[in-house]
Amino acid sequence: MNIQDFLAFDSEANSDHDMPVDLRSLDFVSSYDSHLMCPICHCPLIQPARLQCDHVFCQKCLRSAITTFRSADSEEFPCPSCRTPTSHVSTNVPRLLINMCDEIQVRCPFLAEGCQEIVPRGHIQSHVDKYCGHRLMPCPDESCDKMTRKKDLQQEERCMHSYYQCSRCEQDIMEQDYERELKKHIETCTEVVSPCVASKYGCAAKIRRAEIAAHEQSCPLVSIGPYLESQNTRLNSLELTMRHLQQRNEIFEDGLSNIRSKLLESARASEGHLNSGRAAAEGERGRQNQVDDLDDSMNSSNVFSSNATTYLLSLHESLREEVSQMSHALTDLDARASMTIMNECLRIKEDMAHTNAAVNSVRMQVQWLMNPRLHNGARAGGMRTNASAAGTESPRSQLTSTSAPGPSQAAGPSLGPLRPRRPSDSGREGTKL
Amino acid sequence: MQDHVPPGITIVKSDSLEEWQMDIKVLDENPLYKGHTYRLKFTFNNKYPIEPPEVQFMDLPTTSETPRPIPMHPHIYSNGIICLDLLSTIGWSPVQTVESVCMSLQSMLTANTRDERPPGDSEFVAYNRRRIRDIPFVYEDDNV
Repeated sequence: MNIQDFLAFDSEANSDHDMPVDLRSLDFVSSYDSHLMCPICHCPLIQPARLQCDHVFCQKCLRSAITTFRSADSEEFPCPSCRTPTSHVSTNVPRLLINMCDEIQVRCPFLAEGCQEIVPRGHIQSHVDKYCGHRLMPCPDESCDKMTRKKDLQQEERCMHSYYQCSRCEQDIMEQDYERELKKHIETCTEVVSPCVASKYGCAAKIRRAEIAAHEQSCPLVSIGPYLESQNTRLNSLELTMRHLQQRNEIFEDGLSNIRSKLLESARASEGHLNSGRAAAEGERGRQNQVDDLDDSMNSSNVFSSNATTYLLSLHESLREEVSQMSHALTDLDARASMTIMNECLRIKEDMAHTNAAVNSVRMQVQWLMNPRLHNGARAGGMRTNASAAGTESPRSQLTSTSAPGPSQAAGPSLGPLRPRRPSDSGREGTKL
Repeated sequence: MQDHVPPGITIVKSDSLEEWQMDIKVLDENPLYKGHTYRLKFTFNNKYPIEPPEVQFMDLPTTSETPRPIPMHPHIYSNGIICLDLLSTIGWSPVQTVESVCMSLQSMLTANTRDERPPGDSEFVAYNRRRIRDIPFVYEDDNV
């Protein structure tokens, strides 16, 4: 189209958006090729137009350049880049160029209201029109001239611009900013009572924020704070290493008990074959070798100590078993000995009973034999004057000496003096006979 | 606006869209400008870049920390005003930038061999009270 038509045709002004986005004031996130930049406004081309010399500008920039530089109502004007006289402007530029400009990423213009959205430039107008909740809308209250974010427009459409005062200081916060601003205000309000930075070390001071700096300069806990901090970290690291060592220790103890139980099993197995103490001692040596073999397979640092302890333990165990065996044998022997003694005793008792019986019979015989003699003696005592009594006595003494030589011989001559020593004899004689 | 400035150009002040200050050096062996640094002041109006900025050299005294003289050139007045069609409403193009203006001035100084001020320099400096944009320059010299 020629210049007159081009000046009359204002595409950007024709837009039917209720809030046209100024594409030149957008915040571009991604970098873009400098060839996509309009040489006049230095922004990525917006609705580009092409001149006869193939230079491309935004339509708006070109329009203002033409109105400034065209000499009064002539049909030509010089190209801003190359000063070629131009009478024809084409709004048909390659689609590629428009697409490249429209895909540059931009921030939503309502970033200050809290919209973090990043969209391609070609979509920013529809984002603002339809989707952006942070877009500023006129307040539903007719008497209020302030703006409200779209998402804050309440169902009941009331004005959100009344002020609330901070309960500690004089600052006012608007109702629509309540959530966001209150947090910010609490962090900065000088009247808020906040604890001393050393509160975790025990400083109990709670002062208004305006005065806390003065307190923290004089607070002794603040000054030793870094030292305590470093001590804390040291303690933590030490606890950590201790826990590690405990774990390692548990592992080692497990290993040790495993080894010990294995050793006991093998010791018991070898014990079965060995009976005498000497053999046990030899077995001990053999076990020692086993222990050595086991130790060779272990490569930890406590090999030596575990070796010695296991050796001593196995030695102790084998000795204990020997002792128990010996005590068994002892009780065996004891029982056997007592049995033989009992047997012997019984036999002796029997013998004694036999001898007793024999002695008694002998005694009876003797007494039976002695009885007539005693009678004779008593009669002879009366007739001792008679010589004939002595003559008859001699064959009787001859008889007793042949039948029972021992007692008769002893009793014969001693009967006389023996008689008064045994007065019972005479008493017994009557009952027994 | 410019992340990578060309050699010999440094940004001194660019904190507002009202006024920028740039330092430029002439990089070749031209004995007129060798070893010197010149301070440029850009003043933008709200129609930039459709309308040109006002550009002039600044004169900082030699006693200051950063001495910035006005370069000797037949199109630069001793008060720092530059006679260059590029900077006029007619010669300006919205495609120009601060960077491109600085480079144009660098090349203008590089190409110069005459150690002189424009004709009528003292009268102009003494009587000029107009703003730069209102001065009716005549661009008769096409050799710069």
